Amino acid sequence: MIRVQQERFDAGDVQQAMLQGRSDVGAVVSFTGLVRDFNERPDVTALTLEHYPGMTEASLAEIEDEARRRWTLEDVSIIHRVGRLAPGDPIVLVVVASAHRRAAYEACEFLMDQLKTRAPFWKKEHTASGDYWVSERCQDHADARRWEGGVQ
Amino acid sequence: MTLSHLNARGEANMVDVGDKASTRREATATGAISMAPETLALLSDGQLPKGDVLATARIAGIQAAKRTHELIPLCHQLALSKVSIDFDIDREASMVRVSATCRLSGKTGVEMEALTAVSVACLTLYDMCKAVDKEMEIGQIHVDAKQGGKSGDYHRREIAQETVAPIVTSPENSPALTLGLASAEQQSVRVKCLAELRERLGIGETSVPLDRLPSADVAGLKKALKTLDQRFSGLEEGRVLCAVNQVMASDSTRLTCDDEVAFFPPVTGG
Repeated sequence: MIRVQQERFDAGDVQQAMLQGRSDVGAVVSFTGLVRDFNERPDVTALTLEHYPGMTEASLAEIEDEARRRWTLEDVSIIHRVGRLAPGDPIVLVVVASAHRRAAYEACEFLMDQLKTRAPFWKKEHTASGDYWVSERCQDHADARRWEGGVQ
Repeated sequence: MTLSHLNARGEANMVDVGDKASTRREATATGAISMAPETLALLSDGQLPKGDVLATARIAGIQAAKRTHELIPLCHQLALSKVSIDFDIDREASMVRVSATCRLSGKTGVEMEALTAVSVACLTLYDMCKAVDKEMEIGQIHVDAKQGGKSGDYHRREIAQETVAPIVTSPENSPALTLGLASAEQQSVRVKCLAELRERLGIGETSVPLDRLPSADVAGLKKALKTLDQRFSGLEEGRVLCAVNQVMASDSTRLTCDDEVAFFPPVTGG
């Protein structure tokens, strides 16, 4: 399930819905990303997330497909919020269900690494000293490159 | 492009028109005054206390056009050959639309006269109706068309008003721009600038006729964009990514009619 939405999400509800009525899942790994009140500047008061409708959903679906080709996964949910968010708000949720824990752990990390470097989202941070668009981070690209060259 | 009403030192300067050729000049300007539906009804029925509102506003507009040089400091005094003022009562929008056309055979344009005529006609409408409606609002005053003279003919382009900004989730500006006179029947590519790039260039969406591209690929589109508007030189600053029809692309990606090309900075989601 892939969703791009302005509304809040509840990680617990999403996980419960994924597991409803099935007993073949042995492991669920869930990652929630939150808005920090410090980033490039120390006093972030809000965040605005912009995306490219259409391409966003397509790129998330492609990343999910790649994960399913690398690992045997029972279910994947990705929710990314857009619009204006406040510190402490959840931005992104990735939940992976599989028969065994290693696939779930690795796929969840893979999905986040790819999402951060490939899905067309852009963050603008609002601070007391002005607004600015967040720059890309070398670390994110290094994280994404770890997955090059097949299953670890 | 320079401002002809400023000299090299930036001071106000009346342009010497002695050597300019006399040509037939014509300009049309429009504007509107919105008012309560009841006021509009009284106006069109001739029931307002000050009498025939439209006839008075028409004379006021014509008089104003003839005296534009007294109001606008660097305007020349012109012998107008014709001034006409028209009113259109728009009940749906509850407003009176005012249109003024000025004409002369001379050495300077007459758009200032047309604008002045529209403005003063609107002011007169306000004066004539203010006893019953103080909420009236004057606006949308602009030059619609201008013919004759060195700078050539001009027709105001109606910028397509998009009711929803499809890309942007923040309600920030998504300025539209028309480049190279792309018209509906022409084969063209659609261009979008997203996020930081949109704000840095000041351009949200535009379209470029395919025949303006030196080569039918992304590199050719970039060249055409830079030729058509120098702000697009910002495409070369920093890392700018490109997607064609929502799939990541490169300079060598081929383009065909109606392709959607998006330029954007590196992504920062998650």
